[in-house]
Amino acid sequence: MMDNPAVTPSGESRMHNRAQLVRMGIDVAASDYVVALAGNPNVGKSTVFNSLTGLHQHTGNWPGKTVTRAEGGFEFAGRAYKLVDLPGTYSLLATSADEEVARDFLLFGRPDVTIVVVDACRLERNLNLALQVLEITDRVTICLNLMDEAARRGIIVDSARLAEELGVPVAPTAARRNEGIGGLLRRLNAVASGQFVCQPRRAGALSPSLKRVVDELSDVVASAIPDLPNPRWVALRLLDHDERISQALSSGELGDLGRAKIVEGAAANHSARRAAARRAADEILARADRLRWQAGPDFHQALVEGIYVEAAAIADRVVRRDETRRSADWDHKLDRLLTNRWTGFPIMLAMLAGVLWLTVTGTNAPSAMLFDLLLGVVHPALKSAAAAIGLPWWLDGILIDGLYLATAWVVSVMLPPMAIFFPLFTLLEDFGYLPRVAFNMDKMFQRCGAHGKQALTMCMGFGCNAAGVVATRVIDSPRERLIAILTNNFSLCNGRWPTQILIATIFLGALVPPYLSGAVATAAVAGVAMLGMASMFLASWFLSRTVLRGEPSSFHLELPPYRPPRLWQTLYTSVIDRTIFVLWRAVVFALPAGVVIWLIANIHLGGWSLAQWAIQGLNPLGALIGLNGVILLAYVVAIPANELVIPAVLMLTALSVGMTGVGAGAGVMFEADSVETTGQILRDGGWTLLTGVNLMLFSLLHNPCSTTIYTIWKETASAKWTLLATLMPVALGVTTCFVVAQIWRLVAGG
Amino acid sequence: MSPAINLAVATAIGLGLALALRPRTGWVWRWLRSRRATERARIEDALKHLYECEYARIPATLDSLAGALEVGRDEAARLVARLESLDLLTSERRRLALTPEGCSDALRVIRIHRLLESYLAEKTGIDEVEWHRQADQLEHHVTAEEAEALSAQLGNPRFDPHGDPIPTSDGAMPVRHGMPLTDLRPGAVARIVHVEDEPDEVYAQLVAARLSPGVRIRVLDAKPERIRIEAQFQEHVLAPVVAANLTVEPLSDVAEPLVSDSALSSLVVGQQATVIDISPTCRGAERRRLLDLGVVPGTVVRAELRSAGGDPVAYRIRGAVIALRNAQADLILVKRHATATDAAGTRV
Repeated sequence: MMDNPAVTPSGESRMHNRAQLVRMGIDVAASDYVVALAGNPNVGKSTVFNSLTGLHQHTGNWPGKTVTRAEGGFEFAGRAYKLVDLPGTYSLLATSADEEVARDFLLFGRPDVTIVVVDACRLERNLNLALQVLEITDRVTICLNLMDEAARRGIIVDSARLAEELGVPVAPTAARRNEGIGGLLRRLNAVASGQFVCQPRRAGALSPSLKRVVDELSDVVASAIPDLPNPRWVALRLLDHDERISQALSSGELGDLGRAKIVEGAAANHSARRAAARRAADEILARADRLRWQAGPDFHQALVEGIYVEAAAIADRVVRRDETRRSADWDHKLDRLLTNRWTGFPIMLAMLAGVLWLTVTGTNAPSAMLFDLLLGVVHPALKSAAAAIGLPWWLDGILIDGLYLATAWVVSVMLPPMAIFFPLFTLLEDFGYLPRVAFNMDKMFQRCGAHGKQALTMCMGFGCNAAGVVATRVIDSPRERLIAILTNNFSLCNGRWPTQILIATIFLGALVPPYLSGAVATAAVAGVAMLGMASMFLASWFLSRTVLRGEPSSFHLELPPYRPPRLWQTLYTSVIDRTIFVLWRAVVFALPAGVVIWLIANIHLGGWSLAQWAIQGLNPLGALIGLNGVILLAYVVAIPANELVIPAVLMLTALSVGMTGVGAGAGVMFEADSVETTGQILRDGGWTLLTGVNLMLFSLLHNPCSTTIYTIWKETASAKWTLLATLMPVALGVTTCFVVAQIWRLVAGG
Repeated sequence: MSPAINLAVATAIGLGLALALRPRTGWVWRWLRSRRATERARIEDALKHLYECEYARIPATLDSLAGALEVGRDEAARLVARLESLDLLTSERRRLALTPEGCSDALRVIRIHRLLESYLAEKTGIDEVEWHRQADQLEHHVTAEEAEALSAQLGNPRFDPHGDPIPTSDGAMPVRHGMPLTDLRPGAVARIVHVEDEPDEVYAQLVAARLSPGVRIRVLDAKPERIRIEAQFQEHVLAPVVAANLTVEPLSDVAEPLVSDSALSSLVVGQQATVIDISPTCRGAERRRLLDLGVVPGTVVRAELRSAGGDPVAYRIRGAVIALRNAQADLILVKRHATATDAAGTRV
């Protein structure tokens, strides 16, 4: 399994395990050294990562996991380094997927050096992770980050003493100001090239009886796999009953157990060697089983306690506090303001309203510009170019009126709001405000069996449900994360706001005098958004008590210190990771939808187009739930993006009623010049006030768009949950519309 | 059609669906369960009952069997005949006794049942009161290999979450120590070693009171009609029938004094405390998470902020500010520091 230590051109030894790294999807062909970046959450790890790699980085997922991975490269002293950012974790005892990923990378990938980023202000807590890393690998460099913040708080860390205590180099940095990065690189290089030989501190504080048990198993492991760098750690994990490690031992991932056993037998063939390895593994596991009972049921707790005691002792020796410097009090004051019972909620609502307002109003101008460009200039130009080269009408229709138009529509409507919403959101996140929102909101979510952080993914859903679903990764408890994924669609997304505003203006705004119509429409849309939140709570409550009852659950929420947001990094991550990511998925789905929309309007069977047949077929169902066949068909064909619903409705209405003078032909989606014209077309299509109200309800309560469905499938890796997330809102929407329609007719006598 | 009729029809359909799909008692589930109640399940349940009677030294009869399996006497008699024909059972003068083969088969079923309970407790979020019922349903569908894999996955546990010993794969049954809670005198300190999970109503009371194996209790008052105990800073009044379902191991108060004086949730903002222990009721992923966050014996914790909603409270734990829900903080046993300003020599 393990390949032999490779040798660099200059003859230095490399220890990273190429075969394993390739299996983890990491390309190491062009790198001399592989470096892992580990650290607790909120210690500025991503800032260190950016300082080291600059823009030579890309993000993706760990294979088979919904855990984000960033990797990048840099050169130093003539060597090419590959830097892999591990998920931020408190520990490596593999309680969560994040910890498993980080642990597996260190154990099986065997990076040449591991940088552990620790927060100088919270050394004791951070050393807990650093000590665990030192148990697994001895080639470590500590990046003592946030030295600037520590200085401000009057915390003085003796980095030389810390290096002595840990037996590995320590580089003090303030990555946000780009200070100390040179020192970090030099120390990193010294460890990577073997100039500095680490002598890491091992053995956390354990009681003598436990230590005996650990030593016994550790000796067994060490003699079975002589070249294993971390037999003590493996012994600890086996005693703690870590399935993954038992498995790795049996499968030979940890090292070849056959080798030591088979030396005596000269005529050893491959299968005999395998059998010997299996026997050796079984022996170790049986021994571990027996010793586990001597260690007792509280072994895990004793282990964790031992590491923390050790970390505290080290921190005690290397940290001094300058008592004359008052620690930053404004943090605490701000916290009290933001989480206060009387001020907390109003501030939160104001922030949310502000972000949404900025998004909705800020979108208009760029959206109109893009719309004019892509649909007003490029589309006619394409049409005339197609005519000039004599493209057949149907190909022209499929490609330009179908494919291009749908894509252009999605881009022009989707891009601007996301490009405004996501950076604003990320800024609040970076500043540290969002965890406080989760903190304040948790009680309401707790009652529904959900996690406070669902408040954040719900808000993210106001921007885009697909992004909201990805954002649920911040929830590290399986049950609560699933709830957040399955209910994210109840957040009225950017693609649906314009529909809501348009229909509310046409049908509800018209009920009152003109000077009130804007206010009424806004109130109606806000009402629908609130109804969405209510449905979200209801669905969460229902799910947590029925289908998700058996999923494991745990809660914790760190409130990190407030830090000034980093503008450029925010823009970069929110534009690349969120906006472009979602837009790309949306475009991929919009392409075929455009073709389908054009085709159903242009393929004729027995005098009617497919669209007309479908509308006729759907009309009875539509009537029953207070909608009509056009709307239902529009929702079917516009699955890729909610943005396409209104253009599709207009096109289909014109088609089915046989209107002339509006639109640009069968299968060509269009938008009317004004709200009044739109209203006229819809009324001509037989719409009533009830249709308008029910459309608003159905727009809120229907299946997620295909981008979101695909994202849910990617995130849950389960057809069952994807299906539930798709059908649950439709069922709720159909029921709601049905009840509203029947009661409406009962009351109005229609 | 008129809207009123539409609504009526829809309501009827909705009600029908709700009745059919209602968790546990819905028609669909009942039908599925009745299909699963196979001959194997009957036989295994019968063996389990007979073994439990022998373990508790209560005579097993046709009536007790019929009662335990919720079947009529005729069906019970048929089962006994079947078991006799399989050489699993002998009946002499109305007393039923297991043969050695019957005994080992019974132990196999009990092993699977208790492994399943351990699995449900450690690896899922299923509510404590349901472990027993779920295990009862699942146990008849587990093969010997699956049971071994399950045992390995759980680290070959020796006791189930109720404190019942798990028979080993070769049929050895570890012995349980302890005495019924009802035998303790006032003032005695003891640790719960076993919680009987039947009948459901009594067990639910014990779960609600968070009385589970490992929890330390102190008897405040023992009268024939009720027993008053203190556990994890809460007082519980138990009827003797409830108390008899708890098996305890007395502790000498000198050797293991109850040093913690309150639960973390009782701290007011600004107050500090030292963690003494996490309650045994907190288990699985939840417990590991708390430990990873630094909630280990000896950690000094300070309540920092109460959220606007009132429930999660943020605590400063080894340098970081971490919010925990009150339900979690209830299970963290601490010793409060004398005053909020008594911070000298402590790390926060």
